[in-house]
Amino acid sequence: MSFDVDEDILQDFLIEAGEILEQLSGQLVELENDPDNSDLLNAIFRGFHTVKGGAGFLSLDALVDTCHGAENVFDTLRNGGRQVTPELMDVILQALDTINDQFAAVQAREDMTAADPELLAALEELSKPGDALPDTASTEPEAEAEAPAPEPEQEQAPSSAGGIDEMTDDEFESLLDELHGPATVAKPEPAAPTPSEPSPNSSDSDEMTDDEFEALLDELQGAKSAPAKTEPQPEPQPSASNDEMSDDEFEALLDALHGNDAPKPIAAKPEPKPEPKPEPKTESKPEPKPEPKQAPKAQPAPKAKAPSKKPSAAGRGAPPAETTVRVDTRRLDEIMNMVGELVLVRNRLLLLNSNTNDEELGKAIANLDVVTGDLQGSVMQTRMQPIRKVFGRFPRVVRDMARNLKKEITLELEGEDTDLDKNLVEALADPLVHLVRNSVDHGIEMPDVREKAGKPRTGLVKLSASQEGDHILLSIEDDGAGMDPEKLKNIAIGRGILDPENAARMSDEEAYNLIFAAGFSTKEVISDVSGRGVGMDVVKTKINQLNGSVRIESQLGKGTRLEIKVPLTLAILPTLMVRVGTQSFALPLASVSEIINMDTKLTNRVDGQLTMIVREKAIPLFYLNKWLNRTQPENFDPAAGHVVVVTLGTQYVGFVVDALVGQEEVVIKPLDRMLQGTPGMAGATITSDGGIALILDTPSLLKQYAKRYVNR
Amino acid sequence: MTKTSREQANNEAARDAEDPILQWVTFQLAEETYGINVMQVQEVLRYSEIAPVPGAPEYVIGIINLRGNVVTVIDTRARFGLEPAAVSDSTRIVIIESDQQVIGILVDSVAEVVYLRSSDIDSAPNVGTEESARFIQGVSNRDNELLILVDLNKLLTDDEWDEVSQI
Repeated sequence: MSFDVDEDILQDFLIEAGEILEQLSGQLVELENDPDNSDLLNAIFRGFHTVKGGAGFLSLDALVDTCHGAENVFDTLRNGGRQVTPELMDVILQALDTINDQFAAVQAREDMTAADPELLAALEELSKPGDALPDTASTEPEAEAEAPAPEPEQEQAPSSAGGIDEMTDDEFESLLDELHGPATVAKPEPAAPTPSEPSPNSSDSDEMTDDEFEALLDELQGAKSAPAKTEPQPEPQPSASNDEMSDDEFEALLDALHGNDAPKPIAAKPEPKPEPKPEPKTESKPEPKPEPKQAPKAQPAPKAKAPSKKPSAAGRGAPPAETTVRVDTRRLDEIMNMVGELVLVRNRLLLLNSNTNDEELGKAIANLDVVTGDLQGSVMQTRMQPIRKVFGRFPRVVRDMARNLKKEITLELEGEDTDLDKNLVEALADPLVHLVRNSVDHGIEMPDVREKAGKPRTGLVKLSASQEGDHILLSIEDDGAGMDPEKLKNIAIGRGILDPENAARMSDEEAYNLIFAAGFSTKEVISDVSGRGVGMDVVKTKINQLNGSVRIESQLGKGTRLEIKVPLTLAILPTLMVRVGTQSFALPLASVSEIINMDTKLTNRVDGQLTMIVREKAIPLFYLNKWLNRTQPENFDPAAGHVVVVTLGTQYVGFVVDALVGQEEVVIKPLDRMLQGTPGMAGATITSDGGIALILDTPSLLKQYAKRYVNR
Repeated sequence: MTKTSREQANNEAARDAEDPILQWVTFQLAEETYGINVMQVQEVLRYSEIAPVPGAPEYVIGIINLRGNVVTVIDTRARFGLEPAAVSDSTRIVIIESDQQVIGILVDSVAEVVYLRSSDIDSAPNVGTEESARFIQGVSNRDNELLILVDLNKLLTDDEWDEVSQI
């Protein structure tokens, strides 16, 4: 496979196709619940078709083959040649996985592997009309008046690649693509769901297959005014060609005609014209009926409007997309960075002004204060994404697992529109998948067991997100078996993670937290879903990295609820500034639980480890000076300074610092490549007086400097 | 323009093409003069306080605030195996860009920009200390003074070398 194609084109394809594939997975699961939804069928068909078109242009043959197979199956489905069955869905979902894998390979610029021939064969098999052939109309209400006759022909056409005009449709497509460039690939697919209403009336045209007609309608309604203006011209051609042109070709043609800017219609016309010409007039008459509303409106200024279609195509064709711009996140990060700088300058000005008392200056600075605050908020907003992006994949995950495990599970999603930082959305995806899989696998019982326990056979997994102040609260709730703290303790003792005395002193909540310990797994048998005991450990670490926290509530027999709290954004971090030696360090405020004065009367040495009694509990105590100061002071006074008590999960640790500076919101600056991974350092920041402070990463700090303590 | 002067001009151009002139920023370390390609130098700063980073490699002095960006400063003396020197009035931090990372190098002083033709540069690996030898791209003799040209890419990235030499 070669990548000598223009990198820009490839990038466009990756972005477009990536979004389509993401949508497809959701749409497919939706389809299973609503198998007769022809709009959905069309949307899915179109999705595969679009990806195929783009891949064809880039000569990604393996990808084309798989998409082609899937597309054909959906062609059959939407023509009513088959019904949606769970088995069929399995194959399709498998195909989607393959496509995703291949797509990922393209993204990584690697050679992709061709799809499993068995899968392709299965797709091929499914694309042949099945038992339900005569009643084709069942899946498509609009089809009733239509003669089913032409359909079989069309199904053949794409698979046999026998275009009438002696051209395979792949060739034809790539030709079209070449003519119009890759952007045309992004046709208005999401708009598909609308057209169902008017279509039944329109079925009086008895010479046009309903697919063609539908495609036409989709184009008209989906793309709204801009594409509509081209409609009147192309109609005559397609209607005439119904028995000579496969609908793939037809669609491609339509896409080409309406999809984009001026050169297209002109370029595309010459080819199809010769055939359709003879009979256009008689056939085209019935059609205008359903569309007059839009057609006349659009006609007045067809030329002026043509270019406006392009941005909307890039924005995936949704009508309002014209108001959006795609921006590289790196650029957003840069802007964010600069705003951060501005905030720092403002802070410095505020500080300077507090010393001068100049009223005029004070006013100006107050103004600046407000504006920078707003600016910061707005820029932050641009980085926000709805959590739907992550939630969207769960219906599929749960469905697949439930089928594998033979459980019955409903997934409820709540608060999908909750916005959070883009980086967080990405970072949360894996941990959430893990937790949901755990709920499905360990939480929900088998249907029979549930029935015996007097619960409905179908288990419920509820995923919700909401904003709480400057935090986002995510919860994963199931009405499954719940967790037994005693059992957890016994397992932990059995694994050697815990000793019996400690176990006896443990609260239930601490016991639940055992599932986050490394090497812990509650399942005796390792299933292919979960049970290796690495997952929860990783989940916890990941969430800690995001300055978040996890809490577990569980009731035996009733269910489990996991709460994840993460900050709204990763860009700005509230910290506690402390001084160690001559240097400033920032401790993430989220982990600081309290600050007390150092008092040597309260300290003890237990098993070689300095500890301090805080609220009747002994917590380990560490002098940050010993860890973070290169030049040890000569007259070190162990009784001076303050103790900052930091939480680590359910544990507390005390850090002795020389002085407290105060609370400060800082912009995190990552360390250079050369310093990345320096133990204990999460980054650096510029303080309000222009100096530099290092941001401490408590878990990694302890791991590096207090090995003995952590290992214990 | 006379024929000869045009020829001369042509000759000059031809010579520039096959033997390009390169500009080098020279700096002092201990007794030696070193040069780095001017294209890689972003700016030269006076010494400002450098915040040490606990746990960082030995040759990293720390980080500085360069107009809101955090820049790592490395100790060129340590990198070249020279004795550490006290900070003086002429101490400079040269901000360089290499391989898409921006880094500061601490030097004793910065002197000037010199123009050298490619043909003036000799490859002579056996100058300077053993540690510095591997960062050297070539040397040039100017007014009986040896100018050592440093290959920054190696200076910044060739970390495996350190690990190997420590074994």
